[in-house]
Amino acid sequence: MTTHTLELKNLSKKIKNKTIVDDLSFSVREGEIFGLLGPNGAGKTTTIRMIVGLISITDGDVFINGDNIRGNYEKAMERVGAIVENPQLYDYMSGYKNLMQYARIMPGVTQERIDEVIQLVDLEYAIHDKVKTYSLGMRQRLGVAQALLHKPNVLILDEPTNGLDPQGIYDLRNYLRLLANNGTSVVVSSHMLAEMQLMCDRVAIIQHGKLVRIDEISNQEEEADVKVHFQVEGDLLQAKKILAELNPELVIEDFGKEIIVQTADMKTIAELNKQLVLAGILVVGIQRKTKTLEERFLEMTKKGGDVSEVAVPVNE
Amino acid sequence: MKWLSLLTNEWIKIFSRVRTWIFLALPIIIIIGVAVYDKVTTDEAENNNWKQQLTQNINDDKKALEEARKNNDDDFYIEMLESNIKQNEYAIANDISPYETTAWQFMKDMAPISSLIGLFVIVVASDIVSSEFSKGTIKMLLIRPYSRWKILLSKFLATLGFAFVMWLAVIVASWLVGGLAYGFGGMDQVYLTFTEDQQVKERLIVEYVFLNIGLEFIELTVLVVLAFMISTLFMSNSIAIGVAMFTMFAGNIIVTLLATKDWVIYTLFANMDLSVLIDGQNQLIKDLTLPFSISVLAVYTALMLALTFIVFQKRDVKA
Repeated sequence: MTTHTLELKNLSKKIKNKTIVDDLSFSVREGEIFGLLGPNGAGKTTTIRMIVGLISITDGDVFINGDNIRGNYEKAMERVGAIVENPQLYDYMSGYKNLMQYARIMPGVTQERIDEVIQLVDLEYAIHDKVKTYSLGMRQRLGVAQALLHKPNVLILDEPTNGLDPQGIYDLRNYLRLLANNGTSVVVSSHMLAEMQLMCDRVAIIQHGKLVRIDEISNQEEEADVKVHFQVEGDLLQAKKILAELNPELVIEDFGKEIIVQTADMKTIAELNKQLVLAGILVVGIQRKTKTLEERFLEMTKKGGDVSEVAVPVNE
Repeated sequence: MKWLSLLTNEWIKIFSRVRTWIFLALPIIIIIGVAVYDKVTTDEAENNNWKQQLTQNINDDKKALEEARKNNDDDFYIEMLESNIKQNEYAIANDISPYETTAWQFMKDMAPISSLIGLFVIVVASDIVSSEFSKGTIKMLLIRPYSRWKILLSKFLATLGFAFVMWLAVIVASWLVGGLAYGFGGMDQVYLTFTEDQQVKERLIVEYVFLNIGLEFIELTVLVVLAFMISTLFMSNSIAIGVAMFTMFAGNIIVTLLATKDWVIYTLFANMDLSVLIDGQNQLIKDLTLPFSISVLAVYTALMLALTFIVFQKRDVKA
């Protein structure tokens, strides 16, 4: 049986008659990395703020480790670690004193644990410097350190890769995977598709505060999402016509110098190739393409303009 | 108890700021400065001739009084001159020098420094909630397994604790500096004031000093609550500092403007200056008494605290 560490049930948030989050329900399993993906303004941050109790819930419930945050907030938050947007720290204190602020008030944080976490985020060399001297990356790492101090089993990170350089993102990804393998549920939000695809086990796509669908990243290769691209030399329209006549059951399109056929079956691909060659058309390339999360996301959210960061689809 | 760690945290945050130490040092430096200046400039011989000095004062006041009566001047002014004359005559008759300084007299003279404490306490109280909102650190604090009211309470108690430390530091410093400069005696020293029917009466300075420092702490508490409330409601420390300072310093002006209205005695401003009520002299509003003012302040404090906690509990944090 799968254990769910975080459950949202019909969660809604209305501010002045405007619905920001609309009847959102999902469950996060133990030891998985769960992504909240949506364009800016879709309600990701609002959802996260409701989960950690920063803003009130208009309707619905949030259960963390079985405890409802509306009834039993203190108990529910005991094993939660979070960074909501950028980690904000006390500039006038050292990194160590900042950590101590949280170590003091969380249950079961030992001196060894504090040292361990500092080492983990690689800040030993600067931990006694004032935070105002820290770079953005160092602040992010200190933020991660405070979120991990009490060994949470639910870790919530809102836009965790903001301001991190590629190396930082890579390290974070690996570290989150390590935590997940040890049983921590990690919830990350982002509007960066490619990143979510690399980082998450499952992704919930949210638009206008509603859940559009939840995608399993690992077995995303569904029949309808696989297309075969034939690169041909010569008369493209002629080639398309031949294939269409011989295979009326297939969806066949042409694009640039390519004929695109929606199929995943190996035999069909071989048969199509043969048909083309027999018709005297040179096939210079055959490529199997799976729709990326990104393409599906753009398809589902209908207008690509919302996702400003990704203008060009990434080919695999 | 884990909850106490919240208080420890707030305490550490207050004392990690450089300004806190400046706030603590400044009144003490001023106290030392005043004592040194007084020692250097005061002519002992003149103080020994205090009776001559007072006689001179009485004559001046009498002339001024005649003039004032002729010109039909303000009653308040005339009354003031009359009491001055009475007081000085009594001092000469009973051999009570107003110029004799002891540790206690020095503490009484240093009482106005409480405005400075008030100012610094306002800064800290205004900042402790609103700066966490403006810096965004409040998010990191509110996602901990503590109800919001516990977090707010820890901030409130820490501010009150800071006010207490400031208050105590000034009391100890002025007693110590006064004692070193003028001797620690003078427990039996009296000063002159008036009874309700305008008779001169003697009162122990020690009694005044103790009553006054007690009242100062009540005033400080009200200021803390006021600044704390505005800081929480508006999430802006400049508004909080502004309003609290306005209440503290401009209160008298407003009370003067509204003095004719019956309801003025129920306003916060009219009751903020408790120490003038000790002797009941120079009061802007005659009807006020100490028990009444303290009751009014208690009601205001309770209402402000309730509002602060309710708003904080419900607020959506978007910082």
